[in-house]
Formats: sequence, C-alpha cells, structure tokens
Amino acid sequence: MTDCKLTINGKDYTLKVEEKWTLLYVLREVLGLTGTKEGCGTSDCGACKVLVDGKAVNSCSLLALKMEGKKITTIEGIGSSDKPHPIQEAFIEAGAVQCGFCTPGMIISTKALLDGNIDPSEEEIREGLSKNLCRCTGYVKIIDAVNIAAAKIKELK
Amino acid sequence: MGRIIGSKTPIDDALAKATGEAIYTGDMKLANMCYGKLILSTIAFGKVKSIDYSEALKIDGVIDVLTYKDFPSDKYNSALRFKDHGIIKSETVVSETVRFVGDRIGVVLAETLEIAEKALKTISVEYEEYTPILDEEEAAVSATNIHEGISNKVATIATGADADKVAELIKSADLIFEDKIKIPMVNQLSIETFSVIGDYRAKKLTIYATTQNTFAIRVLASDVYKMPLNKVVVIQPTLGGAFGGKLEAVTELVAAGASIKVKRPVKIVLSRKESMIASRTRNGATIEVKSGVNKDGTILATDFRILTNTGAYVGSAVNVIGAMSHKLLKAYKYPLRYTGSPVMTNTPIAGAMRGYGSPQAFIGMNLHINRIANELGMDPIEMTMKHLVDKNEVDLLTFGNPELKACVVRGQEMFAWDSKKKEIEEFNNKNKDFTRGIGFGIGAHGAGVYPAHQDCINLLLRLNEDGSFNYWSASHDMGNGSLTAQKMIISEIITTEVADIESTEVNTETCPWNLGDYASRGVFVEGEGALKLALAMKEAILDVAVLKHKVNKEALTLKDKHVYLGNKLLCNFSEIAMYAQKELQKEISVLIDHHSIAGRTSYGAHFAEVEIDKSSGSVKVLDYVAVHDSGTVINRMGIEGQLEGGIQMGLGYALSEKMTFDEKGYLLENNLKKYHLFNSTEMPKIRTDFIETGDNGGPFGAKSISECAVVPVAPTIINAVANAIGKHTTSIPISKEEVLNIINK
Repeated sequence: MTDCKLTINGKDYTLKVEEKWTLLYVLREVLGLTGTKEGCGTSDCGACKVLVDGKAVNSCSLLALKMEGKKITTIEGIGSSDKPHPIQEAFIEAGAVQCGFCTPGMIISTKALLDGNIDPSEEEIREGLSKNLCRCTGYVKIIDAVNIAAAKIKELK
Repeated sequence: MGRIIGSKTPIDDALAKATGEAIYTGDMKLANMCYGKLILSTIAFGKVKSIDYSEALKIDGVIDVLTYKDFPSDKYNSALRFKDHGIIKSETVVSETVRFVGDRIGVVLAETLEIAEKALKTISVEYEEYTPILDEEEAAVSATNIHEGISNKVATIATGADADKVAELIKSADLIFEDKIKIPMVNQLSIETFSVIGDYRAKKLTIYATTQNTFAIRVLASDVYKMPLNKVVVIQPTLGGAFGGKLEAVTELVAAGASIKVKRPVKIVLSRKESMIASRTRNGATIEVKSGVNKDGTILATDFRILTNTGAYVGSAVNVIGAMSHKLLKAYKYPLRYTGSPVMTNTPIAGAMRGYGSPQAFIGMNLHINRIANELGMDPIEMTMKHLVDKNEVDLLTFGNPELKACVVRGQEMFAWDSKKKEIEEFNNKNKDFTRGIGFGIGAHGAGVYPAHQDCINLLLRLNEDGSFNYWSASHDMGNGSLTAQKMIISEIITTEVADIESTEVNTETCPWNLGDYASRGVFVEGEGALKLALAMKEAILDVAVLKHKVNKEALTLKDKHVYLGNKLLCNFSEIAMYAQKELQKEISVLIDHHSIAGRTSYGAHFAEVEIDKSSGSVKVLDYVAVHDSGTVINRMGIEGQLEGGIQMGLGYALSEKMTFDEKGYLLENNLKKYHLFNSTEMPKIRTDFIETGDNGGPFGAKSISECAVVPVAPTIINAVANAIGKHTTSIPISKEEVLNIINK
C-alpha cells in the first residue's frame, strides 16, 4: 500500500492504495462513491466517466496513484437530489434517463462538452457523447437533454 | 387524452439516477460481506477431472473455494416462472460436466473483490475434453447428446395451416421461392452487468439481485436449498437495464449457496466478458422459408421452418419456440405453416431477449417477401400489404384489434416512400461513389403472457395521514418505465400527481405476488391491475367521505386531491386518512388482484434509408421512420424512448452485433470493442408515430411497446441495403466486407 492524496469533488483525501488500483476501484470500493458505474472495465462504454481537470475520462482505466494533484469530479460532485445541476435537470425533463446506468457518465461527458462549448451543434453533441454507450434510449432524448441543458446554463449566466 | 394519460412524464426515479444516488445491486455493501468470483469453464464440452486451488487458499484474505461438491446436485430450470412450472430441468448450481465456455464450475470467496480476482487466476482446472458441437444444424442431427437423456433437438412445435394443404398450395403456384437465413446469437447487453448478494442468516436467505423475476428466483432458491418460501426473500434494487437477459437465474443460486456455506453475505459481480459468456443470449437461428407465389404477387402459402440455437442448457428453449410459433400468424393472413425446434449446442445459454423469438421470425419473413417483390418487380410494401391481417379480421379474444395496415400507411406517408424512391434513383444514377436504398419491414409482438399460462398480479395501495400514497407493486421496472406508467394510471383516477405515489423496490417479502416481468406485461397486465387498484382506492376514499360528511356517495367526485360534493369542496385526502384513523380506527389501504383474460398483439411498421460507400462497403442509416400500434399511449415520453432504444438495438442486430465462436467454442466478440453497439454518431434521425385506436383488456386501451419496438428493425435495414446494392442478401448482420463482396461480385 502506498499513500495517495486525492482531491475529489473539492474534498482532499489521504488514502492508502495499492499500485494497481484504478480510480474507479478507489471511488466505488474505498470511498463508497457509487454514482460512478462500471459497465465494461475496458474503457469502451463510458459509464465510469469522471472529470479529471475538466476532461471527461474513463476512471476504470486510470491508476489512482497517477491522479495525485489533479482535480477529480464525480457525478456526486455535479449536483445532488437536493440541488441538481441544470444538466441533471435537463436529463430528467427530456426523458434521457431510463435505466440510469449510463446516465452519470453521460452527464459527465455533457458537462465537459458544455464547459468547452455552450452552443454545440447536433453533430458536436453526438461527437461529445460518442464514447458513452446507452442501450435504452437510442440517444435521441439524451441529445435533446444536452440542448435543454445548454439553454438552461445560458439562461443562468 | 386524459389529465395525465398520454402526457410526457419522466421516469419516476430519474432524479435518483441522474444524481448517482440510486442504489443498484452492485453498489451495495452489507456488514461482514465477502466477495465471490465464479470459476468458469475454459472449454466448451467436457468433464472436470480435477480442480487445483491450493495456491488460492494460501493467499491472505481468501476464505474458501467452493465447487460442485459443495452445492446441491438438484437439477432445475433457470427459466422457471412459477412453482411447479413443468419445464425440463437440466441445470445445476455449479457443474462437474461443462457444456460451454463460461459454464459454472465453482466460486472463490475472499475478503475483497481484488483478492478474489487474484485468487481466481491461480486456480487450475484439468478437464477430460470432448468435441464441442457449435452449430444448431449440426447439433440437431449429431449422435452425441449434450445432455444425457435429452435430445439436442429439444422439441418440435408446429402451428398454422395444415402441412399437406401448404405443400399442395406451394406446388400449385406459378413460382416457388426458397430462402435460407442464418442468424447469429446476440447479447442483451444492458450497460449494468449481473450482480447479486446472497445473505443467509438466522435460517433466512435474502438475495439482492439484478433480476426481472424475483418470485421465480424465490421458488428456485426454495427448491434447491430446501427452504420454506417464507424464509427466502428476493429483492430487486434499481435495475440497470435487462432486456430479457435478467429474467433467468444466473448467479443468484451461487451467491445463495455460498452464503449458506460460509454464513456471511456473498457478493458476486460479473465483469462485462463474464456477463457476455455466462449469462443469457438471444437464440441464434437457421431459417428455411419456402413460398408458392403467383405472378400477380399473391403468396398462396408459406412453409416456415426454424431451428434455434438455444445454447448449452434447456432453459427457455421450448418457451421461445412456442412464443414464436404464433407471431407470424398474427401478422400475415394467408396460409402459413410454422415448424420450429430449439436445438442445444455447446455455446452460451440462450434465453429471453426483447422480442422473444419475434425478431428472428420477422427477419425471415420480411427478407423473404422483399426478395419475392424484387424478383417480381413489385413494390415490397404493395406486396406485403396484400398479405397482412386486417383490422377486426382476427380472433378478438387473443389477437386484439390489429392496426398493422394503418401503421404501414402512416409510415409510408411520413417517410415519403414513393417520392424517396425517385430521389434515390436520381441519386444513384448521378453518384459513382455512393449508392442509396430504402427498406421496409413489419413486426408483431404480444402484450402479456396469457393464454400461455397464468398471468396475474396483486397490488397494494395505502393512503397516508398527510394525503400521500405508498404503492406496493412487484413490477420489476428495468428502466423501461412500467412503474411510472402504473403511477400515471393511478394518478389519473385518484387525481394525484405521479410524485404523490411512492413505490418500494420489488421485495418478495413485502410486495404482493407477481409473475416476473417479461412478455411486455408492464402496462397491459400490471397497468390494468393498477387501474383496478385506483378505482378501488377511489371507492374507499369516497366511502370514508360519506361517513365523515354524511352525504350521498353518488354526488361525490375527486378533483386535485380533494373530495367534492358537486362543486363544493368537502375535504382533502389527509383529512380522509385522519378521520379513518381516529374515528373509524382503520387505515385506508386497498389490495386487488388482476388477471389478464386476453393476449393482445402490438404491431409496428418501419422504414429506412441507407447510404453505402462503394469503396468501403460501410452502411450509414440516413433516415428512419417507425409507426406502431401499441393501443392507447399512456406515457408519450416513455413510449418514444422505448421505441428509439429498440431501434438502436435492432440497428446493431442488422449491422454490427453478433456472437460468433471459434472452433473450440470461444466467443470472438467478448468485449465492447469487438461487440459493437451503435453509438451516438452512428444513430440516424428517428421519427416515430403511433396509431391509437386502442384495444380492450388493457388500461385505457393500451397494449405494449418495449419488445415490439425491436422486431421490424433488422429486416428493414437489410432490405434497404439489398435495395441499395440491387442484390438480394440474407446476411445478418451485414458487415461492410460482405457489402463490398456483394457489390464486387
């Protein structure tokens, strides 16, 4: 075990971790932050996406030890049921949530996309979500949700 | 149509899911819990000679390794639906004889998931190997039985027109057309894999599972572990998609048995690869279809024969073939004979998947009729329409009121089929690098399981002191929104909002009995039950209002969560509940039972335009229209979402998804790089619509959508590809390499 300092959702953690532990393993098994899901473990489905320094990345393929000094945001850091983020509200309103297992990852990718481009074209939205697989929605209402979220965020600015 | 019925309502647990606060089985941790990893067979057919786990036991944190000697040898059928369901038993919790790569041999238990994974790698198994049989055609005639005493060809079911009559009609026709179509297995691929926690303590077994079938898992655990039903509790936490894959017992009995053995909660989470090889698949199939057709395009008769590849155990073998046996007869009205046999092979176990046999059957028929139309120079829609069931023409008791033709007409209009035909011709004449094509397909699927077997649910609703409601429905919502639809139905009647009704997770100890959630029962059967429940609650509220206000019941109505006497507001629901508690000394709760008395059929007609890059063979779907007869729409947001998701699944079926095996039985597409799901950049624009004539037997005239949604997709796309390249093809899925091959031929 090695000491590891992580900054997650604005909170500093000092943990003992094994070299091989992925960020996903630490989030779910060590810290109990189970909002981040594992859908494949091979970096192919995007269910485990978190923001690392603002970029949406697959936490199943990142070693926890390499995350020192970086700013990590999980779905729990985006918003909560008491205070949902406009993107989360948009996903609900648009009907973009069905089984919900891809949803945290989708919302993380949406956050990264809209932080960089508050006015994305449909093509840019599709591209921005292309590394997140969904089996329930056919992506139609998820794309609607990103548009609604962009409008909500613009309104707040 | 109503205040709430027909509106766009988000799924009831959307907030919990969107914030990551929803708890799925894999998110749970119980005190003193340990972790299990399954020991799965690495060969397709053989017998375990020895298992060496001595190294595993030396690892710090390993608790035990359990194999077939540690579990009951009682056989069961993991596709069981209810107590004493008479289906062939061929499976055991873990096995000494292995019948596919992924068959369960044992389980290693450790203090952490990481240690369990590490220990698994040190276990070596020695096998006596037999030659595997991987193809259904081969297995059907093989001298080797995969299961002693059970023929590989498990059964044969024939329905429809008389065999001799069909043969005679085909012979008498101007032309005879024959097609042979091979369809590979595919995977349900819910993004959530399979998880379970078995927790045995104080002679009581609790199983938390990713399941759509809690009460059947309860029966299986009770049978195998010889425990009374009231000492077995099965709970379904939030479910991350299922699509039929989570209907059968997969890991539940392993975790249960392991927990009984070590007296600690045991959690098993399957990896993606394990979920693909060791859970359930959609049956592969070999279809042979033969029709006698006159030159004017009239099909005199069709002889439709299918062998399904049902995998290594009996499971759902006969159920799928049986369910499939009447689907074509509900869509086509001319003499058609169906003969189907499920065949066991040394491949992963096939089970339920969205459509339950219908996709394979309708791939066969749609491709076949499309080819006949092309060869006769007819429009495939015109040719198909001549043979489809008419409204009010079929047996109303079981078939319902088909609006299939209306779906075709509406879709043809929305898609602008006729003008698109011309546009495509012009495009193809001008363009050297790309070619475009249009395709069409129809499909049908049931709503509810009656009359195949009993189809019933009991439901419970309580009015709380503050006017809110609790709802106990063992309706296994998988993210498809069946519970939301039920809450909408209740709300419509008792004038609440969906958010006023809180439901529990499915729990066999606290919820009244229900079948599992399959056969698209969620709205048609369970929703009709919810309607009855709401009407009973309305009566109960009015009965108390009568006593409280000394008024005639006939003049009372409910509006905006209040009781009215004519236009005069009498009281709110909280006052009703409090009066009942204080003055009548009772709670207002209602329990109802509902059983379906009719099977109904839902229909869909789909239309697609594709563009093929002639240099690479890659297929791009440009436009997609789907029109369905699901009866009355309960939740417009839900039904659209189901249909759009069904189209994503069907597009994969047509173009990118398959489970194929090397000669040793190893799955080649064993991760999400090789097993390709359509992503957001590949999905076309989708336009949907619904014919809402409605039908009886379901709530407000509703039928079903979730399974029917996927049925017409794959043949629609394959027919569009055939149209684009100007040649008949029956390849499923059709890869760009195959498209190139056909173009260059």
